[in-house]
Amino acid sequence: MTRIEEILDRIGTLPPLPTTALRLMAVINDPRSSMEDIVEVVRYDQSLTTQVLRLCNSAFFGLSRQVSSLSEAMFRLGTLKVLQLVMSVHTNVLLMKEQRGYSLEPGALWRHSVGVALASTVLGERCKIQNISLLFTAGLLHDIGKVILNEYVAQECHEIVRLVHEQQQSFIDAETQVLGHSHDQIGGMVAERWQLPDSIVRCIRYHHTPLLLNPPDPQVDVVFVADCVCLMLGIGVGVDELCYRCDHEVMQRLGLHERDLEFVGSQMLDELAKIEQIFGVRGSVSAGGSSR
Amino acid sequence: MCPLWCEKMNILVDIADFAVSNDPQATLVTHSLGSCIGVTIWDSEIRVGGMIHYMLPESSIAPEKAQTKPAMFADTGVPALFHAVYALGAVKKRLIVKVAGGSHLLDDNGTFNIGQRNHIMLRKLFWKNGILVDSEDVGGSISRTLRLEVGTGRVTITTRGQEKEL
Repeated sequence: MTRIEEILDRIGTLPPLPTTALRLMAVINDPRSSMEDIVEVVRYDQSLTTQVLRLCNSAFFGLSRQVSSLSEAMFRLGTLKVLQLVMSVHTNVLLMKEQRGYSLEPGALWRHSVGVALASTVLGERCKIQNISLLFTAGLLHDIGKVILNEYVAQECHEIVRLVHEQQQSFIDAETQVLGHSHDQIGGMVAERWQLPDSIVRCIRYHHTPLLLNPPDPQVDVVFVADCVCLMLGIGVGVDELCYRCDHEVMQRLGLHERDLEFVGSQMLDELAKIEQIFGVRGSVSAGGSSR
Repeated sequence: MCPLWCEKMNILVDIADFAVSNDPQATLVTHSLGSCIGVTIWDSEIRVGGMIHYMLPESSIAPEKAQTKPAMFADTGVPALFHAVYALGAVKKRLIVKVAGGSHLLDDNGTFNIGQRNHIMLRKLFWKNGILVDSEDVGGSISRTLRLEVGTGRVTITTRGQEKEL
């Protein structure tokens, strides 16, 4: 079996996303869906419902009265917030693990993924993109291909890094040259295998190469810019560092300026700190200076 | 007081945060400096040190955040860092100032170059306030870890597993 065949074979070994997550993505992908439709999907997953209610009732949200049902949680916290919690719970197990090949310690890929998901949401609102919930999920899963390629990057890390630094290649080009596939392409294949909505598959597959799409896809553009913001700010960055190409054209077609990126970065960091607090992950942002 | 068995203590400075210390056993450390900038300041006479990891140049993009997290921005965080070391007895003219970070993505147009704008803002701030930078390691597409040993003033940068003194 060639290495490319081995990598493709490995995609099949990745555990499937829970049925609830898949059904939920189908529901949020449908603009006609209502809050009741979402509750209907989640309510039969007892374990998920319990986890989400526990998070909603955590001290962080400071609700004066405990919520006891998902519909009540959505009413009091907002549908988007509850959806974000649901999807984050679902992807925790996959994304929290160490990805040694990419020099990502435990939690780092999760942190980067949640950062991109949140930045996508902020950008989506700013650019008036429809279906913000879908953007959050696409952002959350955009680097899922790294989970598959991790082991192979570990084996060839030296050569990939050499190409990046000696020949000024982007990490994506170096991955493709050495392994035959890059993590965005592999991620697209994983998303297809999971039968995720086409729009999410596109966001994952083209999150480093949005210019390849004709006509352009604003949702892909948003995830691309969100990823650039998080990489720049060093949110969950590993061996690939900042070695990715960005493109001015994408900014232009989204109508974004430099200061918009800074605004998105500041909003994302705040929201990320909140989610880390809710999930009990080490807080990355404290209130200000400290004297020790 | 640090007990005998406690040789070194790392004080982690997160993104959009700063810390100061006069504990000679302490090392201030910040990880994953991309486009963000890390500044270390150290008073050689009384051995007081401080470090900031700010992410954006100007607080005017989100003034309400500057109130709760001044260290998110150069224009509010850097003055706050200096005031915090002054409060521990440091004197401006004795401070040794070192700077690291300001990296960028592979970007021909410079649109995504928050790192460069972060650096320009710092230079403006220092120029206005008559502060000289002792040494700096800025730019490139790399991620840096910055450390300041409070007891000695030694500053190091680690990139791709290689440590060097700044």
